[in-house]
Amino acid sequence: MRLWGPVTAAAVLTASAATAQVPTTFIVESPTMTTGEMMPRDYSPDGRNVSPPLSWRGLPPGTQQLAVICQDHGAGNPPPWVHWILYNIPATASGLPEGIPFDPADAMPPGLGGATQGANGWGLPMYRGPAPPGTSLHHYHFAVFALDAALDLPPGLTRAELLEAIDGHVIGQGAMTPHYSRHPASADLTR
Amino acid sequence: MADEPRNRPKISRRDLLKSAGAAGAAALIPGRAAADAPSAAPPASAPAAVAPAGPLMNLTAQETELLSAMVDRLIPSDDMGPGALEAGALRYIDRALSEAESDSVEAYRIGLAALDRYSRYSRGAPFSELSDRDKDSVLIDVQLGGATGAGVGFVGSSGAFFNMVKSHTWQGTFGDPMYGGNVNFIGWDILGYPGVRMRVSEDDQRQMEAGQLPPARRSAYDFGQFQVGGGED
Repeated sequence: MRLWGPVTAAAVLTASAATAQVPTTFIVESPTMTTGEMMPRDYSPDGRNVSPPLSWRGLPPGTQQLAVICQDHGAGNPPPWVHWILYNIPATASGLPEGIPFDPADAMPPGLGGATQGANGWGLPMYRGPAPPGTSLHHYHFAVFALDAALDLPPGLTRAELLEAIDGHVIGQGAMTPHYSRHPASADLTR
Repeated sequence: MADEPRNRPKISRRDLLKSAGAAGAAALIPGRAAADAPSAAPPASAPAAVAPAGPLMNLTAQETELLSAMVDRLIPSDDMGPGALEAGALRYIDRALSEAESDSVEAYRIGLAALDRYSRYSRGAPFSELSDRDKDSVLIDVQLGGATGAGVGFVGSSGAFFNMVKSHTWQGTFGDPMYGGNVNFIGWDILGYPGVRMRVSEDDQRQMEAGQLPPARRSAYDFGQFQVGGGED
C-alpha cells in the first residue's frame, strides 16, 4: 500500500509538469477533506458524486490562472487514473465550491467564468469520484497549478495535453491527498 | 470577472445522436451531423405517440416506471424535439422481451431493481423521483461502472446493464417501425434520415444535398423486396 504525504505529493507534481523554473509551493485545503484522511462519500459514486470544495492560499506573485487535476497514482494503465481536470480558472478565485457542473451547458459558479473541464480517464469532461475496487484504499491527489499566463485553453484536454499546454507556465504548485475506500451498500439498505 | 454563460452544446442529446450510427437505421444517415439536419414534420395522418399507460407485458408497474424514467433520460424530449418515450421505445423493448430478447427479461428485472437501490443508496431517493440532473448523474455512474461496487445488486458490471438498455432504447427509437418503435418515424426525423428508398434519382440527390428532399416515411417492410426474417436460413 502506498501512502502519500506532502513531500511525496510535491515530488509527483514536479515530475508530472516539466517546468523551466522551480515552482513555489502554496497551500491547498478543503473544508471537507484532509490529506491522509477519508474523503466523504458524497465525492464518490457511493454518494452524490459531486466534486469536492477546494481552497488555496499563498499563490506566488504573478499568478494569472490556475489548473486542477485529481488523479489516482495507484490506478490506470499506465498510472495515473484521472478523475477530474479543471483549468482556465481565474487567479482571482480563492477556491472551488462543491459541485462543479458536470454538464458543460451549465454555467460555472460565480467567480469561475472561463473555467472549463478536461477529459477524465473515462474521456468525459467532468468530475467522477473514487471507486476503488473491492474495499481497497486508494489515494486521490488533488494537484493545483499556478500559471504565469492567462491561457485560453480549449475544453476537453487530456491530462497529457494540459500538462504540455502549461509547460513553462507553472510558477507554483500545491496539493492535497485524501484517500477513499468504498462503503458497500448492503448494510445501509437493510436498515 | 463576470461569469459568462457557457456556450457549448450539451452532452446528452446531441452526442447521443451523433454516435447513434451503430443503431440500425442511423447507419443510413447522410454524411452530416444528424442533430443539425432539418427536422421534418410527421405525416399529418399519423396517430399521436402514446407511451404505455400501464405495466408492460414483461415488467411490473414499478419496473415499467423505472425503465420509463431511464429511457426518458437516454434520449430526452427537449427543445430539439421528442425523445425515446414519444418514439415508443418502451413498447419496442417490451415486444423485444417477448420475442428476440426474451433471454434478457431477468437482466432487466435485476438491473432495474439495482438501479433503484443504487439511487436510494447514493442519492437518497428512488430513481423516478430524482431531478433530471441527478438522474443523469446516477446513469453516468451506472454507465461507467461506478455503481457496480456499491453493493446494490448489479450482476457483473452496472455498465453492462446500462449498455443493454441504451442499445434497446436506440433500436426502439431509430429502428424500423415494424418492430414496434420509432412511432410516427420520430426517430428518423430526429436523425434527418431521408427514409428507405428503392432508387434515388439525380434530382433526389440534389434535393437531399440541399436539405430539401421530403423524407420517405415507409417501413422497409412496406416494400415487397423485404420480408420479416428474410435472409435468414
